[in-house]
Amino acid sequence: MGVYRACEIPETLYYDVERDVWVRLEADGTVTLGMTDPAQAQAGRIVNLTFKPVGRLLRRGQSAAIVESAKWVGPFPTPLTGEVVAVNEGFRRDPLLANKDPYGAGWLVRLRPTHLQEELRELLTGQEAFEAYARKIEERNVHCIRCAE
Amino acid sequence: MEPVRVVDLGEVAPVRSQAVYHAVAYAMDEGTPDTVLLVTSSQPYVSIGYHQDAAREVDLEFCAAHGLPVVRREVGGGAVYLDRNQVFCQWIFQRQHLPARLEERFSLYVLPLVATYRRLGIDAYHRPVNDIQVAGRKIGGTGAASIGRSEVMVGSLMFDFDHELMARVLRVPSEKMRDKVVQGIRDYITTMRRELGDVPDRQQVLAVYLEETARALGRPLQPGQLTEREWEAAAELEERFSSEEWLHQKGGLRASGAVKIHADVHVAEATYKAPGGLVRATARIREGRIDDVSLSGDFTVLPAWAIGAIEQALRGLPLREDVLRQRVADVYRALAVEAPGLAPEDLTQALVALRGTVEGTP
Repeated sequence: MGVYRACEIPETLYYDVERDVWVRLEADGTVTLGMTDPAQAQAGRIVNLTFKPVGRLLRRGQSAAIVESAKWVGPFPTPLTGEVVAVNEGFRRDPLLANKDPYGAGWLVRLRPTHLQEELRELLTGQEAFEAYARKIEERNVHCIRCAE
Repeated sequence: MEPVRVVDLGEVAPVRSQAVYHAVAYAMDEGTPDTVLLVTSSQPYVSIGYHQDAAREVDLEFCAAHGLPVVRREVGGGAVYLDRNQVFCQWIFQRQHLPARLEERFSLYVLPLVATYRRLGIDAYHRPVNDIQVAGRKIGGTGAASIGRSEVMVGSLMFDFDHELMARVLRVPSEKMRDKVVQGIRDYITTMRRELGDVPDRQQVLAVYLEETARALGRPLQPGQLTEREWEAAAELEERFSSEEWLHQKGGLRASGAVKIHADVHVAEATYKAPGGLVRATARIREGRIDDVSLSGDFTVLPAWAIGAIEQALRGLPLREDVLRQRVADVYRALAVEAPGLAPEDLTQALVALRGTVEGTP
């Protein structure tokens, strides 16, 4: 796994580096989306979160959730067009899921994508993704930390 | 870089004081200048945070009876009572024109506010991440949001603040808690009036603020107006912000149960069912320690003054189970406390339950 300034960037995932979102392609044709490690580190401890409802069709760039950290509110934009098929209800028990485990238990939403082939070309993966992210981390002077509890 | 547009809207209706900066943010396109908006609400009202449950956080009946509108904003944080004695200083900037890191954005945004207070003779400083304080007291809060293609920073210049009404509009579980909130605000929130003994002139203060803003940004400022498109967006948002649906929107995860006075100070209440009755602990927590606590409930304790002695003995202690248990047990022993169905462990558990209500308490 690629690690840059303590920020983990797993090479097996796809990334919208600009929007700070990771994408995992699932076997059933759906995609799972989440905040990247630099995104959770920059947002800080998440205190609240609202998801778009399951069944909602989202266009690329629209927000799939509104995230509130202690000091900031902002959208979680989807890099892929598709229908929301699941949201991570685990946040109801623990709002810090994305701060603790951004690529695992801290996933945000699952979509059934409608334009996957063309939109996937806009995303980066593997070494290319790692290098692009490393540049962004450098530019923004980010250093990742995870919440332990 | 292009000059920053300054729009001083003076006094506007409560809902507009909130709608207008959202409108500039939503209407922003590539050509929109970075904007500093100055605005004051002509009437008192209550502003609630994006994820708050209005009915749970605010005494809506009281607000309705007193003609206080309640307006949800798209910025985080808690409920706050606002009136003519604060001037909002709202920055709506193109994303790439502000530091990418939130901490740096706050440092930049807070700089001219702090400098303005200092030029007025108030010894203000930035207490990261986003508080401004004077000798440990908060003088105005700040917040941030990403809306559309803009980064929004909001905060205010605190000319004066109504402590009593602030505490009154909140929905709190008991009057004891309300008393603690009033006291907490009195002790830990300050204003220009309090620091200077008088309220300075709005225009003079704003002139200083704008000078300091230009200095902090290293960019010239230029007085301007909102465009027709921005006013249209404001009108649309005013309609939405005035709707019952928007006010009562839910969807957040949970409420904390504590009232945050400033970054280090919370007022919280917790209950615990002991065999002898329900125990209610109402406390002011400062930096994770008990600043002040009241223990009440339908239990019987002898000697009658023992509860007061325990409350005293708990001051300054961290909210750590072992420490609290030890101290409560010590007082029980020293005063030979008789309390049927209320063991030291029951009080300890009521106190420990406070921890769960205060976000970030270890």
